[in-house]
Amino acid sequence: MSLTLPDPKARRLLLAAAPWLFFVGLILLWELVCRVFSLPEYVLPAPSAIIDAFFKVEFSRWMTHLWATLRVALMGFLVSIVVAIPIAIAMMRSELLTRTLYPLLVVIQSTPVVAVAPLIIVLMGSDDPSRVLITCLLTFFPLVVSTATGINETPAELIELSRSLDAPTRRETWQIRIPYAIPHIFTGLRVAITLAIIGAVVAEFVAAEEGLGYFIQFSTSFFRIPQAFAGLFFLAVVSLLLFKSVQWTQQIFFPWSLPKK
Amino acid sequence: MTGSATNRSFVRLSGVGHRYDPDPKTPKAVTGVNLDIQRHEFVAVVGPSGCGKSTLLRMISGLLKPTEGEVTVFGRPVDGPRDDVGIVFQKPTLLPWLNVRKNVLFPLKHKYGRYSHEDEKRADELLEMAGLESFAGKMPDELSGGMQQRVGIVRALLLNPDILLMDEPFSALDAMTREQIGFDLLKIWEENPKTVLFITHSIAEAVLLADRVLVMSKRPGTLLEMLEVDLPRPRTRHTISEPRFAELTERLRKHIYEPDAA
Repeated sequence: MSLTLPDPKARRLLLAAAPWLFFVGLILLWELVCRVFSLPEYVLPAPSAIIDAFFKVEFSRWMTHLWATLRVALMGFLVSIVVAIPIAIAMMRSELLTRTLYPLLVVIQSTPVVAVAPLIIVLMGSDDPSRVLITCLLTFFPLVVSTATGINETPAELIELSRSLDAPTRRETWQIRIPYAIPHIFTGLRVAITLAIIGAVVAEFVAAEEGLGYFIQFSTSFFRIPQAFAGLFFLAVVSLLLFKSVQWTQQIFFPWSLPKK
Repeated sequence: MTGSATNRSFVRLSGVGHRYDPDPKTPKAVTGVNLDIQRHEFVAVVGPSGCGKSTLLRMISGLLKPTEGEVTVFGRPVDGPRDDVGIVFQKPTLLPWLNVRKNVLFPLKHKYGRYSHEDEKRADELLEMAGLESFAGKMPDELSGGMQQRVGIVRALLLNPDILLMDEPFSALDAMTREQIGFDLLKIWEENPKTVLFITHSIAEAVLLADRVLVMSKRPGTLLEMLEVDLPRPRTRHTISEPRFAELTERLRKHIYEPDAA
């Protein structure tokens, strides 16, 4: 079923506005439900109460918590890029390494990080390094897999071209395989950046004195539910912006790697 | 290796064969191919899918070592990749992050890590010859399939190879583009004579382009027949309507469909 509008301009406008209209409608409905049934704030706060709570918290406090979460998430993200991409390249070069490492990677990936996080805190203390490690455990695997997939998807003909030119392997890696992996690497990066936020929040849930995750947990435990919701939405917006920045980076620096419309 | 025949033959295959799987129960991909290609000769190879045409091509390029027999170029055995060979693949396989000129220059960049101003000039000349000069700054995805494959051919010519190996280069193109690019290839070849080994599924294309058409058998692939194409050059689209062209394609078809009767 498709909506037919006589004017293609109006149609385009509707398509652009639809998600916003839906979002605003949803918020209004939420507000309405809360007011009509007079739900208590500690069950489900109305959007207006959440907005109120958001502005009641000082800006500098928001920034302190934001910075604590962002710092860990970004460090974890960067560390996993620096580690995962070389490992993926090394794995592409050596079948032995792939066979040796892959099971371990799968084990790490399939172990719930939430369960491991307390142990890491016990082992390494409740400072940034252990939080970054917790984040890395989440972000690392999708990056290795996407990079390795991309590298392996290099057309066989180009590898033959490289061989026929008798070019050094180093150039085959840098001039053919890695650029070919870029679209896949970005798919991995988009997944990893949102996982990085999740990792940072998980670490804060276990042990922290600041951070948005800590803020949400703290607010909940004091039954300041609107404030917890405010923290949650703030976190969601930050996560979305980070996701978008990865997309923008790809659009600006690697426009050729985007799927064609 | 002496004798006038050897001196004249540029690429020589003597009893060449290849087996991918060391297990002797599986058939060889190619076996017992004897072939002499003259310098600047245009040889087309036709045959059913999976008959080892590509294997043959890879053995000549040095990408693949024959497991039997020997390939020699100018009397010297081929024992590894050679840089006097240009390869054009079935798909254009251009690098999507480089513009057309940089794609053409890629073999130099890849082999030596750099290229000179002279090389850039040569790339532009080649692009002009292929009628692509106005596309030099475009990205590959802005080009049609036919134009992309033309860039692929120009790229293969950059290092000025003596031998041009073409592995079903036009099979991904639509029929009209395919015919046009065939004439373009002939023009390029007449201006820059090369020894060409051209693999194709199209009988008409083989007859139109080549001096000689080889017919390969099913796996294990070996040479069944050889057809001299005595159509005058330069060949144009009028060649297709000549009775001799029809005669030759018909004879080639007979070789392929009823190998015993021919």
